[in-house]
Amino acid sequence: MSSEQNTGSEVAGQVPMIELRHVEKHFGDLHVLRDINLKVGKGEVLVVIGPSGSGKSTMCRTINRLETIDSGEILIDGKPLPEEGRELAAARAELGMVFQSFNLFAHRTILDNVTMGPIEVQGVPRKEAEESAMALLERVGVAEQAAKVPAQLSGGQQQRVAIARSLAMHPKAMMFDEPTSALDPEMINEVLEVMVELARGGMTMVVVTHEMSFARRVANRVVFMADGTIMEEGSPDEFFDHPTTERARDFLDSIKGH
Amino acid sequence: MSAQTTSMRDALYEAPGPKTRRRILIGTVIAGILVCLLVFLVVRQFYVTGQLSPKYWSFFTRPTTWRFLWDGFLGTLKVAAVAGAISLVLGLVLMLCRTSHLKALNVPARIVIEFFRGVPSLLLVYFFFLVVPQYGIKMSSFWMITLPVGLAASGVLAEVFRAGVNAVPKGQVEAAMSLGMRPSKITFKIVLPQAIRFVIPSLISQFVVVVKDTTVAYVVSYPDLLQNARVLISNYDALVSTYFVIAVIYIIVNYLINRAAVTVSRRTGVKIIK
Repeated sequence: MSSEQNTGSEVAGQVPMIELRHVEKHFGDLHVLRDINLKVGKGEVLVVIGPSGSGKSTMCRTINRLETIDSGEILIDGKPLPEEGRELAAARAELGMVFQSFNLFAHRTILDNVTMGPIEVQGVPRKEAEESAMALLERVGVAEQAAKVPAQLSGGQQQRVAIARSLAMHPKAMMFDEPTSALDPEMINEVLEVMVELARGGMTMVVVTHEMSFARRVANRVVFMADGTIMEEGSPDEFFDHPTTERARDFLDSIKGH
Repeated sequence: MSAQTTSMRDALYEAPGPKTRRRILIGTVIAGILVCLLVFLVVRQFYVTGQLSPKYWSFFTRPTTWRFLWDGFLGTLKVAAVAGAISLVLGLVLMLCRTSHLKALNVPARIVIEFFRGVPSLLLVYFFFLVVPQYGIKMSSFWMITLPVGLAASGVLAEVFRAGVNAVPKGQVEAAMSLGMRPSKITFKIVLPQAIRFVIPSLISQFVVVVKDTTVAYVVSYPDLLQNARVLISNYDALVSTYFVIAVIYIIVNYLINRAAVTVSRRTGVKIIK
């Protein structure tokens, strides 16, 4: 998928996969999300960048309600995100989430981690779930670790398993909350490769990251956040080469520095 | 618990230098001399008052004495095991209620936990021994000791379980939620299995408290180790020697339980939460 391709949200008459309308959130006195409006089209890859404390992770987490919002609306595939109960759980099951700290179930094997969702949530028979889990583990390159527990794997391997765990649910869209920030430098690429592969396969993705090379390669759109607002958005080339706001220029300078 | 204390000492203090090492040596020698002196004085006092005379000790060479103590020991084990099982189940249930979002569950659970944790087990024993029978409920002496000991421990275990639940990283729950798992599934499939693994060593060492609590069995005349020892004392008029022997037995039993806790904690790589 090239960056020149139409972003889903721009295709006439198509419902965006994820839409945030006037989303506001406070943590006590701190105004973490200020009037966030955002559309992510089907098959679109959106990269969110910004300094720490800008609200980018919080925004990412509101999409499957790991963070609640004070006001505004969140729509998934045109339907409002339920606020609780069975409906919320069902909506979450359709959205994949990959965390900075992997969060693999520490007491279960790698294979169990990937089959847990399909078996416990979707009622898939164990044998079937294990077969597709092995195929997914194969795809992310950790099939030979299936019988181990998470602590025995490297960070990069754990994150790839976490991606496989999300994929096992056949999600409509996936959120990545700083997926490579906790990794040793030499393991970042193996995770990014899996994500590039996913993006090429047409997965709708919201990726909070500082990996500019990744953004340039696969993002359809880049959103820059600071102080809880979306300051700027555009194609990766536009944004990285000609940022329009002072904040974005400062931020890009600071991360280009190394 | 030597492994734990060593690591704790390493964590708290820096490695001693040459001067400190000398000071530690001097302190150790002086303390050693004082302890030896104290032991000598105690033994001498026993000797002077005739406590070491064979009449107080010879009955320990008779098999019947040991068989009698063995029966008491089995009684202690039976009470401790059943009370332990009650406290495990009840502690888990109390913790689940205590951490529930429903006020109707967590407020009563909190009160019950604080009550059992706060009331001395002896008082609970009196309740089952003196109050309950007045309402026409007949209980064997076994239950009159086992129930209160189990209830008292359940309050503590509820808090131990809760510490274990709190030790499960929040990310585990978030990952489960993001997969679409419902709260009860998250509790039973993700949180509890990890929480219980965290607290197994603490549960085992808590069992020491249960074993010690069983000694109030004399109140209801249940033949546990201590009660049988009291019978020996009144038969042979041998207070010091008998108490000495059963103290050693209790120490050995509880030491073994603690060793088990340390072994399990080392094998699972889990710290003992207290």
